Amino acid sequence: MGAVLRSEWYKLRKSKILPIIFAGPLIAIIIGALFNYDSMEGGFNKWYLAVLSMNLTYALLFLPLITGVLASSICRYEHQAGGWKQLLALPVTRGNVFISKYVLLLLLVFLIQLLYLGAIYIVGIINGFTDPFPLEIIWKSIIGGWLATFPLVALQLWMSIVFKSFAAPFAVNVIFTLPTILAVNSERFGPFYPWAQPFSMMYIGGSADDVFFVPWEQVLTVVGGSFIIFFLGGYIYFQRKMI
Amino acid sequence: MISMMQTDFLKIKRKGFWFLTFLGPIGVVALQMVNYGVRKEYLLQQSENDWLYYLQNISVFTPLALVLGIAIFTSFIASIENETNAWKQLISLPVSKMMVYLSKFTILACLLFISSILLMLFTLGFGIFLSFDEAIPWWELVKYSFYPYFAALPVLALQLWIATVSKNQGVPITTGIFGVIFAYSAYMLPDWMIWKWPSLMNQWDEPLINVLLGLGVGCLLYVMGMLDFTRRDVK
Repeated sequence: MGAVLRSEWYKLRKSKILPIIFAGPLIAIIIGALFNYDSMEGGFNKWYLAVLSMNLTYALLFLPLITGVLASSICRYEHQAGGWKQLLALPVTRGNVFISKYVLLLLLVFLIQLLYLGAIYIVGIINGFTDPFPLEIIWKSIIGGWLATFPLVALQLWMSIVFKSFAAPFAVNVIFTLPTILAVNSERFGPFYPWAQPFSMMYIGGSADDVFFVPWEQVLTVVGGSFIIFFLGGYIYFQRKMI
Repeated sequence: MISMMQTDFLKIKRKGFWFLTFLGPIGVVALQMVNYGVRKEYLLQQSENDWLYYLQNISVFTPLALVLGIAIFTSFIASIENETNAWKQLISLPVSKMMVYLSKFTILACLLFISSILLMLFTLGFGIFLSFDEAIPWWELVKYSFYPYFAALPVLALQLWIATVSKNQGVPITTGIFGVIFAYSAYMLPDWMIWKWPSLMNQWDEPLINVLLGLGVGCLLYVMGMLDFTRRDVK
């Protein structure tokens, strides 16, 4: 398992994925810097305003969409010139290959989340915020958003193994991500839509009584449930895939 | 040129292009079906002119669907050649590289145009189903269906350029994600950004400017992309 993970890491290092990873924080900084903070009077902590405005694009669209790009990138080597055959001819199990790809993807998403945290901080410095940095709340948001991508990453890995091109898994991703814009406005559907979860779990305006910004039951049922479905779906598909 | 386009149409068969061409407009209208299905009473109270308000609701998602559709289509059409290393074989035929590029662009422009026609039909269909009190605003309907298409031509030219010259299709897809985020935050972008144009917003409040800019800059970016494509080595 460790060896498979290491080899995935080597492949990743050579695949020019860095610009993609930095894209998210970059866009967050642009959005955060463009936002007009003086228009909001009323003694809000300015960090909150910054995070709320940045989340609106970052968590709603960017995070769900970029998981797909990462998943396709991580399968790119294998799709080119019969890489799957070579990889699976090694003494590794398909299960291990799938799980190490998945773990690596989760680490990448976590890295993006950390960079996003850095981006929030940079936006604060650019705008010269003097309010105290709400570290605990922002951590909740970062970790919560990361957890919420678990099912999406699983589905995207599945789709990336099915399709050779980047465009097809991306199309699947887009089809599910665009309705999020409507779903988050609905109190009835929002909580049950897996693609809306990154936004809900990063939304720092939610109730702060629980560990995250959404109730535990919702995390367990919607995020956990969709994670199990997508992960098992991908896992079983990969076990049976004709190479 | 005609035979070139025929081969391209043949290549995109059973790859999901037509499916996406239909899905885009259906999706945009379906989102409003859900929207109006859940809270029709509330939405009808929002404005004096329900037809126009409905068209505006539709047009919230049109630019996003267009920009994403363009990213998917361009990357798709490039990967058809990339996957089997077919660029070299294609270029070795007695066709000019300009023709190859023009044909791909025309195909995608056609598909997106068909999408726009479908968008108009579906919008009209569901609008009639909702049976608003006002008469159907035909001219507005045509505007909201086709203006975004013309305003999005620069994005199509740019994405096709990036997709055809990138070995790694992650690059055009990531550009597409940037594009959709720009399109989504169009209201806070400066007027010169091409991703703002499909939203038909500008400081003069005159959507026709976006159409004309789209056509002009679209041609310019197309020529730049084509020239760059012809000058590159095909490996």
